Amino acid sequence: MKNLKIFSFLLVLLVSIGCTRQFEEINTNPNVPLVVPPNLLLPGMIRDACNDVESTTWGISNLAMQYNAKIQFVNEDRYLWGEQNTIWNGMYTRLRDVNNLINTARAGNQRRYEAVGLILKSWMFSLLTDSYGDVPYSEATKAKTDGINFPKYDPQEQIYAGILADLARANELIVQGNEALNGDILFTGNAARWQRLANSLRLRYLLRISDRRNVAADMQAIVGNPAQNPLFISNADNAALNYLPAFPNQFPRHTSRVGSFDEIRSSETMVNTLLRLNDSRLTVFSRPTSATHGTATPVYVGVPNGLNDVDALRFNGGSNFISRIGTLYFEEAITPRGIQVARGVIMTFAELQFILAEARQRNLISTGEARTYYENGIRASFEFYGLPVMPTYLTQESVAFNPANVLEQIGTQKWISLYYQGMEPWFDWRRTNIPRLVPGRDNLNQNRIPVRFIYPTSEQGLNADNRNTAVTRQDPDNINTRVWWDVR
Amino acid sequence: MALAQDRILTGTITSKEDNDPLPGVNVLLKGTSTGTISDGQGRFRLSVPSSANGALRLVFSYVGLAQQEIEVGNQSEIKVVMANDLLQLNEVVVTALGVEREKKALGYSVQEVQGSQLVQARETNLVNSLSGKIAGVTVVGSPSGVGGSSRITIRGDKSLNLGNNQPLFVVDGVPISNDFNGNTGRGMTSADYGNGAAVVNPDDIETISVLKGANAAALYGARANNGVILITTKSGKGTKGIGVSVNTNVTFDSPLRLPNYQNVYGQGLNGEFGFADGNGGGLRDGVDEAWGPRMDGQAIAQFSSPTSNGLRGGDIGDPRAGAAQRQADLTTRGSITPTPFLNYADNVRDFFQLGQTYNNNVAVSGGNEFGDFRVSYTNLDQRGIVPNTDLKRNTLAFSGGYKLSKKLQVRTAINYIKGNSGNRPSVQYGTENIMYLFNCWLPRSIDLAAHKDYWQAGREGTQQFGWNYNYHDNPYFQLYENTNSQTYDRMFGNLLVRYEFTDWLSLQVRAGTDLNNERRTRKRAFSTQRFPFGTYRVEDLTFEERNTDFLLNLNKSLGDDWVINANLGGNLMRQRRSDLDVSAPQLLIPGIYNFSNTRVELQTDEFRSERRINSLYGSAQIAYRNSIFLDLTARNDWSSTLPVGNNSYFYPSASLSAVVSDMIELPQVISFAKLRAGVAQVGNDTGPFQLSQPYFNGAPFGTDRTFSESGQLANPTLKPEISTSIELGTDLRFFNGRVGLDFAYYNITSRNQILAIPLTNTSGYTSRVLNAGKIKNWGYEATLNLKPIVNETGFNWDVDINFSANRSKVVELADGIGNFVMASRYVNIEARVDQRMGSMYGIGYERVTDESSPFFGQVINDTRGRPIANPNRILLGNYNPDWLAGVYNTFRYKGLLVGFLFDIRYGGVMYSHTQTVGREGGMISETLEGRANGYDLTQPGNGVVAPGVIRNADGSFRPNEVRLSAREWHSAITNGRRILEDMTYNATFAKLREFKIGYTISNKALGRLPFRDVNLSIVGRNVALWTAVPHVDPETSTVSGDQIVPGVEDVAIPSTRSIGFNLSFRF
Repeated sequence: MKNLKIFSFLLVLLVSIGCTRQFEEINTNPNVPLVVPPNLLLPGMIRDACNDVESTTWGISNLAMQYNAKIQFVNEDRYLWGEQNTIWNGMYTRLRDVNNLINTARAGNQRRYEAVGLILKSWMFSLLTDSYGDVPYSEATKAKTDGINFPKYDPQEQIYAGILADLARANELIVQGNEALNGDILFTGNAARWQRLANSLRLRYLLRISDRRNVAADMQAIVGNPAQNPLFISNADNAALNYLPAFPNQFPRHTSRVGSFDEIRSSETMVNTLLRLNDSRLTVFSRPTSATHGTATPVYVGVPNGLNDVDALRFNGGSNFISRIGTLYFEEAITPRGIQVARGVIMTFAELQFILAEARQRNLISTGEARTYYENGIRASFEFYGLPVMPTYLTQESVAFNPANVLEQIGTQKWISLYYQGMEPWFDWRRTNIPRLVPGRDNLNQNRIPVRFIYPTSEQGLNADNRNTAVTRQDPDNINTRVWWDVR
Repeated sequence: MALAQDRILTGTITSKEDNDPLPGVNVLLKGTSTGTISDGQGRFRLSVPSSANGALRLVFSYVGLAQQEIEVGNQSEIKVVMANDLLQLNEVVVTALGVEREKKALGYSVQEVQGSQLVQARETNLVNSLSGKIAGVTVVGSPSGVGGSSRITIRGDKSLNLGNNQPLFVVDGVPISNDFNGNTGRGMTSADYGNGAAVVNPDDIETISVLKGANAAALYGARANNGVILITTKSGKGTKGIGVSVNTNVTFDSPLRLPNYQNVYGQGLNGEFGFADGNGGGLRDGVDEAWGPRMDGQAIAQFSSPTSNGLRGGDIGDPRAGAAQRQADLTTRGSITPTPFLNYADNVRDFFQLGQTYNNNVAVSGGNEFGDFRVSYTNLDQRGIVPNTDLKRNTLAFSGGYKLSKKLQVRTAINYIKGNSGNRPSVQYGTENIMYLFNCWLPRSIDLAAHKDYWQAGREGTQQFGWNYNYHDNPYFQLYENTNSQTYDRMFGNLLVRYEFTDWLSLQVRAGTDLNNERRTRKRAFSTQRFPFGTYRVEDLTFEERNTDFLLNLNKSLGDDWVINANLGGNLMRQRRSDLDVSAPQLLIPGIYNFSNTRVELQTDEFRSERRINSLYGSAQIAYRNSIFLDLTARNDWSSTLPVGNNSYFYPSASLSAVVSDMIELPQVISFAKLRAGVAQVGNDTGPFQLSQPYFNGAPFGTDRTFSESGQLANPTLKPEISTSIELGTDLRFFNGRVGLDFAYYNITSRNQILAIPLTNTSGYTSRVLNAGKIKNWGYEATLNLKPIVNETGFNWDVDINFSANRSKVVELADGIGNFVMASRYVNIEARVDQRMGSMYGIGYERVTDESSPFFGQVINDTRGRPIANPNRILLGNYNPDWLAGVYNTFRYKGLLVGFLFDIRYGGVMYSHTQTVGREGGMISETLEGRANGYDLTQPGNGVVAPGVIRNADGSFRPNEVRLSAREWHSAITNGRRILEDMTYNATFAKLREFKIGYTISNKALGRLPFRDVNLSIVGRNVALWTAVPHVDPETSTVSGDQIVPGVEDVAIPSTRSIGFNLSFRF
């Protein structure tokens, strides 16, 4: 009897061992969704991409463009860049979700979301190719859908063709759709503003490649038909993420350690240029030296870029005598005014005006007057910072529209207006070489301002053949190799 | 109960060595199952049938003593003296599924450590105790002062999943978790909360049996791929009546090694320094580096100097306050009265406190012919060397067995551990780790003691006080306010029922569980560098594993020559995990650590998973003439984590052992010779939820929720992993057991590993899960036992040597993949095809590659005389040692025992982040190079010309003659922490791992006192270190996220030297 009990117990055990029916249920992840609608994907990608751009702007391109300079841990300011992977890793990570958003939107016939996805995709790929040159594009982000684990690197020319086509397509799609754009933290669901961004970006990118391709017809086609291709109308259209006053969505710099923030100071180039122009935007970009703060004669002193560690920190008697970066980018970034200034800028109305000014001046477009665009750009920039434009500002000799020198003027004003607004000034400077920047004294790059990031070294292991093909096509993988559109 | 016709035999058994009575000796009437066990006084009493008068023989056996047979004749009082068995042929070891077997019958390598070897010179983390004691076992600790995590591997790394290389821990037949839960993120650096097996209490361990290879472990299935650490806890078996044992242990801990700091130059830059606000407002006072003035006692304003308003220089208010507020705060503070600029050479040494560890154990055990029990209570109370760090552990263990009938018995063993720590130190490079300051950024002019009063005057609770407000936290503030605490309740145990159908057939059914409920609480106060508004975080981790198994055992002699022992078993494994991680990212009111006090929305992560493995297995051991043994095992697993269709997998093993010395005549010197060989296969599954592709939610943007897809590409078609191993070995004893040599060779091939193979993120994903990789491991293990001096009643000297060498090589990765980054912390631990496992890669120097150049091989510098980085990562070395050896010497004379263990690791490379950043900060002794006479480069002895050449415009080279300032040189040497080539070191070391000097008072000398076996010892662990590695203990690893990364020293908290006392006795 006892034996029978034992054997029946054994039998039950044996049967349950063979039983694997519940396995699938057990192995179904209860913690997370496997499908997510576009409105839940959109906010994260916008915020995170803006954060990535801010981080690289602060640490690299603001230095290269001599807005700011380092007084401690000066490697980056001496062009000892090493790997700069934030844009690479950040954008390709966001593009995974952009891709998901586009595919979901297409499947659900949500044309506005699809357009938004294409616009973000275009912007992100332009950041990638402008930073690195040839990058994976046509085969990128297709591991899941197409099983492409080793995407080929596309020539920049083809990437730009794709970007421009996508933006044109977005311009069409957005008016076809009618769904509400929820989760849109950039334009709060205003589809018209997305459309204006799409067309404004088209002008930016056409101008970017204008030394390689004749873009006049394409640019004029956009500018000449505002009904079909609306552009930014005013600062109210700016594509600039407003950060929030509360953690964790503050302007990223706000949460820096004070020492890390103070390693970077205003550059002599920027301070002296703005002092020379008597430009009140300096009070936003910078602050008087600590030594003179609160005195009758507060002074702004910028530090030269590219000094060695010792000389940088001892410049002008030390950090008390060197201007810090403006309060709105740090402690006051969470104030109402800071939120208006320290933003995640994708593109502004001011930049569009400078693009139009240059295009008109170079006869790439025939609509409007270069001077009007130029002055509108300056006004828009002051307005962005909540500052009035003194009438004397526009009439002083170095600012007043001078056809003999106007491209230099446009470039300089564009450079000022783009202060701490992403990496666009670096891209634009590489195209125009305006303003004239002299590499810092103790630079470690043979007196050249870097014009590119090296590919992440992880690519050597993870996508070696394709990377090597790109390097062969493009010249050595270093910070001095020019990208395709950079010919001046 | 003795029947009328029985006769009663009584006797006493004593030890030849010290004449003390021997309890627990097995006494068996030969040819029968009648027997007994000697009691505490070494006495036994046995009734035998009076009929079998003439041929009565008694067999006396005891582990470690030579077996004896005595012809009873007509004696009724028998005296037996038992001597040590030098050959130890009947040594019994615990093997898979807890089956005790004679070692000589085994076809694979098993090595044991007795519990008694663990309790005297003890470790808070059990895993550390095994270092040097077992051939083939590598232990690497992550020191934290209070039982930090340790990584243990047997026979090298076999899995490309770095975290997947540790053996399975089994206690009393039931697996327990050795998980390392190092979850960090949310802006915090890691705190080391210890690994799961660390908590097993040495006082309750009878033996640890290490099953090294797949042959030994095959019956444990998938999870035994990396070997098994089989722990058997103590029981009351063999005790008669009630006995009490007491062990008390006190040790004192101090840092084994501190970096060699430079003690010439203090804080500042280029010889200049003057404190105004520690924020850049003074003379280079924002600088946290030691390139300042000589510390000659000259008067300089400092953070600790008094001010005109009776405050301290550092009482400056909030460094982030607006300009007007700052000005007002500085006025309130007043002007600083300069004080002597001194060298606080001992500030770090004095910062550490004497660590103290108290461990007390009392155990009561008892038994009679029906049952036995043991109850044990252990209290561990440890105070770390780092101030305000501690660890407390209370362990209650119960073990008991009872014979319900002649055929049915039950046994249970339960261990309950309640642990807590008020604070575990933060580790890793970062502001939360005090070593970040001490090794890199705390110039020697800083008075650490002046930091004890760590709030600014009038700002208690809201603003810390310190020497530098640009980057750093006050270390006392960090340790007393920003705590990482932990409480846990851990229970593991099992209940077993065994029914013996006949004397050759039995069935055992067992249910076991391992349950851990843990809460980790982290607090960060207002004004913390990384958390200006503080933060509060609680993690609740729940883990449960239940195993239910049965084992049908058949053990039968077939005639005189053949014995067959067969098992058939099955197991249901169910694992559940549930983690909740909540934080208040910022606090509203300082000092209130409660989620209701959050300033912003709470951040919450929750994870639940379940996993099951069902198994059936069988084994058979066939013994021929007690000299040839064949073992066969087979197991089939069904795993819930693999896809339907691929979730069942079968794997077999076979091993053969032949006692050659019993079969053929060998030369006299060879007393025993055995050969063994085995082949085995083991399969493995994967973690839960690897088959589907999830989206994770991120921090919301205002009211907008955010999601993003996992970067890891799931794979719905995974297959089980398979590893195949071959093991050959021999066990030789010479000179009647005076010399013993056990040698093993093994060769393991692991394939189809389930890996998250990295993808270029341009593919949209950062990794994809797939079956890939083929890793080959091979190596040798030897244990040599020498008894140079044997004298039963006098002086004895034993030497035990463990030696092992292992190589693991990557044969294949996935298609198109040439390398696989297993872990990355400054250096990459990369698997590359045709290279060894454990190789570390990093950026090296650009060198002259033209062999015809006179400068061939030299470092190329840029035109400013700074070494150039070669962007291609080079092999920096391999963290695995070339070989390991442990040498244990024991000297015994009467009651005196002296033992010491040397642990030697030869070869292998480590990277030291202390070296890289300690140079940058001007902290370590190397940074005196280039500033013999200060900072003026025109003075002799100042500045450094980097070795190597500079490339001329025409491509030729010239010797470098550019003189860099000391400061520039010491960061140029790494190209700003990029070139790590010169920051790696040969990690060879020898340690005096353990010593014991003990005296056991003879029980006779104790006379009528109630105490027995009184032993007093002086003990030490990690007493001395010999190494060429500068500044740090080469035996260290870092904790990075969810992994313990070997080969990388990441400004680690110093390992500790422990010296103390142990007292044990019984009554």
